[in-house]
Amino acid sequence: MIEDNLADAGLVREALEEHGVQGELLVISDGDWAIRFIRALETQPRECPDLVIVDLNLPKRPGREVLEVMRQSEKCRDVSVVVLSSSDAPQDQADAFRLGATKYIRKPLRLDEFLKLGATFREILESARNKRN
Amino acid sequence: MAAPPQTSLEPVELPELADEDRGALDPDVHFRAIWEQGTFACRLNLDGTFIDGNRASVEGCGFTRGQVLGKPLWECGWWSRSPEVQQRIRDAISRSIEGEPFRGEMRYWMADGSERVMHLACMPIRDESGRVMFLMLNGIDIGEVAESAPPGALLAAIVDSCDDAIISKDLNGIITSWNQGATRLFGYTAEEAVGRSILMLIPETLQDEEPRILAQLRGGKLIDHYETVRVSKDGSSHNVSLTISPVKDASGRVVGASKVARDVTERVRHEQAMREANAALQRANADLEQFAYSASHDLQEPLRMISAYSELLRKKFGGKLGALGDEYIGHAVDGAMRMERLLRDLRVYTNVSTGRHEPAAKIDSSEVLRKTLVNLQVAIQDSGAAITVSELPRVHMLDFQLEQVFQNLVGNAIVYRGDHPPRIHIAAERRDRDWQFSVQDNGIGIEPQYKEQVFGIFKRLHTASEHPGTGMGLAICHRIIERAGGRIWLESEPGRGSTFYFTIPHREP
Repeated sequence: MIEDNLADAGLVREALEEHGVQGELLVISDGDWAIRFIRALETQPRECPDLVIVDLNLPKRPGREVLEVMRQSEKCRDVSVVVLSSSDAPQDQADAFRLGATKYIRKPLRLDEFLKLGATFREILESARNKRN
Repeated sequence: MAAPPQTSLEPVELPELADEDRGALDPDVHFRAIWEQGTFACRLNLDGTFIDGNRASVEGCGFTRGQVLGKPLWECGWWSRSPEVQQRIRDAISRSIEGEPFRGEMRYWMADGSERVMHLACMPIRDESGRVMFLMLNGIDIGEVAESAPPGALLAAIVDSCDDAIISKDLNGIITSWNQGATRLFGYTAEEAVGRSILMLIPETLQDEEPRILAQLRGGKLIDHYETVRVSKDGSSHNVSLTISPVKDASGRVVGASKVARDVTERVRHEQAMREANAALQRANADLEQFAYSASHDLQEPLRMISAYSELLRKKFGGKLGALGDEYIGHAVDGAMRMERLLRDLRVYTNVSTGRHEPAAKIDSSEVLRKTLVNLQVAIQDSGAAITVSELPRVHMLDFQLEQVFQNLVGNAIVYRGDHPPRIHIAAERRDRDWQFSVQDNGIGIEPQYKEQVFGIFKRLHTASEHPGTGMGLAICHRIIERAGGRIWLESEPGRGSTFYFTIPHREP
């Protein structure tokens, strides 16, 4: 997850736990670090994560640039991306889908709705696993 | 003016007396002379028609006998010009016939139209048996009637003392007259100004105005309230409003112009100040709307955090912190939820004005109300509310905004009920300029001193535990209705109920 607001990162963690998703959640809190991380993957044995959740509003480099770098990288090109943003601007949605996002979700205001996102994440992860196998 | 009617001062030629008669003059001759040489006199039949008149009355006034013989006296030229005087003559004659002589002042006219006044006597002349034979009219001229129109001198005095500058000029632009008002405005005295060119008043940059003005005047057209700038003797500029009329000679040819100039410097300055104040106000308004919009947006993020985590806290640790812990968490969650609702209503409130500005199409308000009642279904059922509706019209308004108004008013009527189930009646009355809607309830009512306050933002008259609500509902209604050009107000009797009224203006097709 690439998100600078730790509270939202915490909520995503709750959502995943709530829906029994097992795994490792890595949180990167600025766009510049995220880009370096993705580029570093090229020279490492590590795989790209199964699901990348991005907020478009990031410090240092915007989420849009992170997505562009992902599309250019060998390992991360086809990874499922969910944009989780507080913005409802149509331009942002257009950009996200153009850069290959699977889903664009506005951060819900209510706790219960946020937690339900866990189901969405789980679905995406399962279909990604099926594709790999 | 004409002279009084001529009384002949020349003696009438007396016929040569026969020798026998030389001793005594014939009385008939005397009487004839008295009659002919006397002041205005005439004889009338009993029906008022003219029998005969003396020289003073007929020729002396410029009439001929043919014009008056046999005619009713009031139709003759001396009195036919004024219906009012004609009536007086008729009255005088009827009184005389009844035996009461008339004596009084009477206006009369000469043949050339000049008006004079005479002292008039009209009396019956009787025969030996006392029977009236004819009427005699006698008049002594007592003077001219003064002209009612002011003579030239008076007009000149009016022009001179007028506050506005009145200037006349010939077609070459040379000043021919200059009043005190012009001296006050431009500083030149009449002696200094008359004979000089009007161009001395016109600022250099506007000198071409004069040929244009003259061209328009030559065409016989007047210039009305033309605002421009003129320069006075000390060089200072004045904003003036000019009205210039062509002056024509007897044949209708334009020979010059008469100009009235009013100093409007004050007014222009005032208008400028108003415009600037207005612009500043608009900017301030725009800033405020912008601020309100951002505030309601930016406040949401942190609120979301508080809201979500208080609920998470309750979810994960509720019960594990004891009763007090649960209470604390409860307050935090409530606070967050209230804030959420307030922010949402604030967004609605600011959206009322930043929304679309095109003129609304006509919508069916009864359909909008129906939708509202569906939205409020649960509240209606829970409270056992009985809602009646009279026929509602089609109006010019955005449908979602009318829905908001109905939702708030009907919702309030349900919430602010007393001990009885709410009875709510919604109606509309057609007035000259608008439709007047009313939402009437039998609820707790509103005290008179709060009748206006309730429409304020965040205004609540009750604590949250008594009746839930954010206090924005009526403020939103107020904003919507005012933006639509209407008014919203209420009548209420505490303990008996309230009626909310709002108007939606008719719009010309």
